[in-house]
Amino acid sequence: MRLCRAGAGIHTVVAMTQTECAAVSFTGAVKNFGAVRAVDGVDLAVAPGETVALLGRNGAGKSTTISLLLGLYEPDEGSVRLFGGPPERAVRAGRVGAMLQEGRAVPRVTVRELVTFVAGRYPAPMPVAEALRLAGIAELAERRVDRLSGGQTQRVRFAVALAGNPSLIVLDEPTAALDVEARHAFWASMRSYARLGHTVLFSTHHLQEADAYADRILVVDRGRIVADGTAEQLKRSVGGGLVAFDLAGRGTAGLELLPGVRSLEVRGDRARLRTDDPDATVIALAGLGAIRGLEVAPASLDDAFLALTAPLAEAA
Amino acid sequence: MFDYLRLEVRRTLRDVGFVIGGIAMPVLMYLLFTNLGADDGSWKTGAMVGMAGYGAVGSALNTGGGVAEDRAIGWLRQLRVTPMTPRQVVVGRALTGSVTVLPAIVAVLAAGGLVNGVRLAAWQWASIAVLLWLGSVPFTLLGLGNGYRLTGQTTGVANMACNLGLAVLGGLWFPVALFPDWLRAISACTPTYRFAQLGTSVAEGHAPALAAIAVLTLWLLAFGSYAVLSYRHGAGHN
Repeated sequence: MRLCRAGAGIHTVVAMTQTECAAVSFTGAVKNFGAVRAVDGVDLAVAPGETVALLGRNGAGKSTTISLLLGLYEPDEGSVRLFGGPPERAVRAGRVGAMLQEGRAVPRVTVRELVTFVAGRYPAPMPVAEALRLAGIAELAERRVDRLSGGQTQRVRFAVALAGNPSLIVLDEPTAALDVEARHAFWASMRSYARLGHTVLFSTHHLQEADAYADRILVVDRGRIVADGTAEQLKRSVGGGLVAFDLAGRGTAGLELLPGVRSLEVRGDRARLRTDDPDATVIALAGLGAIRGLEVAPASLDDAFLALTAPLAEAA
Repeated sequence: MFDYLRLEVRRTLRDVGFVIGGIAMPVLMYLLFTNLGADDGSWKTGAMVGMAGYGAVGSALNTGGGVAEDRAIGWLRQLRVTPMTPRQVVVGRALTGSVTVLPAIVAVLAAGGLVNGVRLAAWQWASIAVLLWLGSVPFTLLGLGNGYRLTGQTTGVANMACNLGLAVLGGLWFPVALFPDWLRAISACTPTYRFAQLGTSVAEGHAPALAAIAVLTLWLLAFGSYAVLSYRHGAGHN
């Protein structure tokens, strides 16, 4: 069990030799819907205690991956294991809690009734009051679920996912349809839960969420995991960065032709060059004497994401 | 399982539509049909059994409406990622149906005894209630079949059509004695006619006819198979 920590290298398939240690492991998992290949050979491993984001555009295959993970679908090829066994076994054993996408309010039950019922299905649930507190809905306990706002409903669904005190919690686009405030409250709740040592896997198409709340990001594109690492590693893997300086009255002609430059943007008097090779760009700018207010910033996660998933990836 | 049953029964009884349509309506219709116009009194007993049956059929089918609703909102899918097995969920739902038919049966029988002055021996009251209760199982299965196969809205329409069609054809609303011969022949094959017959036989003081039990059993098998097929059909994408 000591060797269970997954290495999180970029572009590397995390080969976990002791798959029984992994909370989640996919080996060459494929899922087709008719002619559409929704999941196209996914290999991944999540170690116990990690908080992992599945980051991808809508339709990238995140939800199908999660459905495979939960045993709602069987893979057409490859295998999916939870805690070393088939997903169904882990689910039946109460080791998994999930917040599925597009679940709506269950009509005609109160929050407490619903969460109590779900907690009661699990062998070692947390106290209902604790689940409600973690989800931030303690004061809504006696309200009917179908009379809550969208954000409140979402948190009820989160309480349902964690009520059984599962080792692994899976959240499919948990903050879709939440406003900014509700989103912050939600992530605060999720963090408190992860801090208890649980494994969390969530999907999102919000880069900032993956960046801010995950230990590790798996970038999903067209049914494949195209990158795997921390936000920092992903940014570095793309290379390049942003070079900005004050034009101080000079023209912009020729700037796009400088070494490494991919694009030019002018805001007021400031030029911003997106570049594959910041060093070469800076040296060239120095040669032109254009270095007033010079600033070099690493690529953002946005850049990394675009580079990793763009149909014609320029920096791979 | 018991928790699930309790949760679902609670949800059903909080459904205003269910309480009005499934319990209050049959009682009202019974009181109206039997107290408007002249009547020899025997129809008060026959209609009591018919309307209790009608209420039970409606409530039984309503279980399927609940399933369709739960599929639409993702609640059945959510249950699949809890430790509950699919079998527990289905059996729990069927049991919910068998509990929620009771209020309609009891309410209409109470209206018969208390308001319309129907007089029967204690064993007759008890037998009628129990037979109507057991006899409603095929209709619960029919409702589940609809609920697992169809969308929420179409399930509502299908259940309504099954309920009204089978109620009228089976003579739950009007005695089949008023039907022309050809219609009476059809009526004899319906599950609702045979279902009500279980109760009317007892009200007349004798055991249900074998034919009634046989026809109802055939329907039980038919609707049971329909429910199983629908469940398999719907299980992939609920």
